[in-house]
Amino acid sequence: MKVAQEIRVGNVIMQGKDPMIVLRTEYSRGGRGAATVRMKLKALLSNMGTESVFKADDKMDQVILDQKECTYSYFADPMYVFMDTEFNQYEVESENMGDALHYLEDGMSVEVVFYDGKAISVELPTSVEREITWTEPAVKGDTSGKVLKPAKIATGFEVPVPLFVNQGDKIEIDTRTGEYRKRV
Amino acid sequence: MLWDIFCRVIDNYGDLGVCWRLSADLASRGHSVRLWVDDATSLAWMAPDATPNAEGRVQFNTTTGKVVVRAWHDALHGLDLPSKVWVEAFGCELPEHFVKWAHQSQTNSHSTPCPVWLNLEYLSAEAYVEKSHKLPSPVMSGLLKGRTKWFFYPGFNENTGGLIREAWALEKLDAGTTPGFDPSSNKPYPQKSTLFCYEPAALAEAMQLASLNSAGHQWQVAHGRGALAFENALRTLPSRADQTSHQFFPPLSQTQFDQLLKSSDLNFVRGEDSLVRALWAGKAFIWQIYPQDDGAHGPKLNAFLDWLQAPDSLRRFHLSWNGLSLEPLPEVDLPAWQACAMAAQARLMQQMDLVSQLLQFVEEKR
Repeated sequence: MKVAQEIRVGNVIMQGKDPMIVLRTEYSRGGRGAATVRMKLKALLSNMGTESVFKADDKMDQVILDQKECTYSYFADPMYVFMDTEFNQYEVESENMGDALHYLEDGMSVEVVFYDGKAISVELPTSVEREITWTEPAVKGDTSGKVLKPAKIATGFEVPVPLFVNQGDKIEIDTRTGEYRKRV
Repeated sequence: MLWDIFCRVIDNYGDLGVCWRLSADLASRGHSVRLWVDDATSLAWMAPDATPNAEGRVQFNTTTGKVVVRAWHDALHGLDLPSKVWVEAFGCELPEHFVKWAHQSQTNSHSTPCPVWLNLEYLSAEAYVEKSHKLPSPVMSGLLKGRTKWFFYPGFNENTGGLIREAWALEKLDAGTTPGFDPSSNKPYPQKSTLFCYEPAALAEAMQLASLNSAGHQWQVAHGRGALAFENALRTLPSRADQTSHQFFPPLSQTQFDQLLKSSDLNFVRGEDSLVRALWAGKAFIWQIYPQDDGAHGPKLNAFLDWLQAPDSLRRFHLSWNGLSLEPLPEVDLPAWQACAMAAQARLMQQMDLVSQLLQFVEEKR
């Protein structure tokens, strides 16, 4: 069993008898240290989408599926194509890519997830390093990291960063929460 | 309709304060509530109208409904009626004995519909609240696996569950208090501030600022951590020959506390319950948000100030008061701050209150 905050995009969890693929997770901090995770899910058997919310420490069954390390090759609308070390290609529907699209770049290494022999999703590393392509100029002297400003990476994904971070800086992002971790 | 509401007191008075107001509001609308609390001692002063019943349990009656307080470990028995709604306040888990009882009841009677199971969440003005409000939460472990819980979020706009706004309490509030500050007047006048806070670093500075009012300033200090902080701050200030005075209050009932806020010119409030009451009081206020180690209170406060449409001086005061800025406190601008509070109250009055929304949602899900 895992707890909700450990579940990542691309994982499959059991809801009753339905295997559900996780397309998006959004971690939110509530009051007094409590937290919730909102998930966008899709039933693998019926293809029906749904949204649910869990307490961060809610327990759930993760279905362990076959995975293979692959690199991202190209996009052939509506499929994202990945290649393993033996040059086999696997296609994943764009709808199933979920939040992985926020970080996807050419040649990126991911785990392609298989269900019944079919590639159904990808799992990202828990953190990635990305360059800031846009943000307001840094504020000198503020190193507390408590006050944040918006910043964008190459995919257009917006990440709140501390005031001292500059355009062109490389930062580490937690792919589970979409949050800034540190300047690299 | 019978409700089970569950409340674990983590610290301070907000958990129980919110749960009691919710329960009493439901009772005023003809519902019966079993309020499960792990520490109900504060109810003695918070809700003095609630008194022990024949079974020794604290009970509050309205003309058509009632609230009975149950101890957390006080298990239900065969003759106890199953409720139609369960409310976990602030994500507290159900007591183990209750889960077993519910599981057993369901096993014995398959035809009985499952109660509507809600998790009443923390109040926040952040964007995630709208996205998560009324979403299902399938239960994936334990004896009640397979059931669905629903997340219900209080909030400040029409896409959320709204705020507790008991009609009877607000009527009492309007009838029992004086109008106080006149924002159209430019003359100095003796100001009254109610102080209900944790330990804000800028407290002594605020007290010094208040002492500059030539017409005088009176502090109405609510009991608890804030009173101790006030005493400590008082010792650090030079002895004064000004018109500043203070009065320490004993623990007050919710009704008395609401009236205290209404009688002030400026309210310093803390946590969740007293913030809502400050909004209903319609007076200028400063909110001390519950501080969190991970800094999560910063974005929460800013989201609230954005919703409040706080003028710059009010925003800066809040940031310094909450230790999120090292700038000195700006000057108090009561006319602007009160206008802001009144405008916020007017916006909230356009929305359906939390209990009405809760009842509507329960009807949909039954």
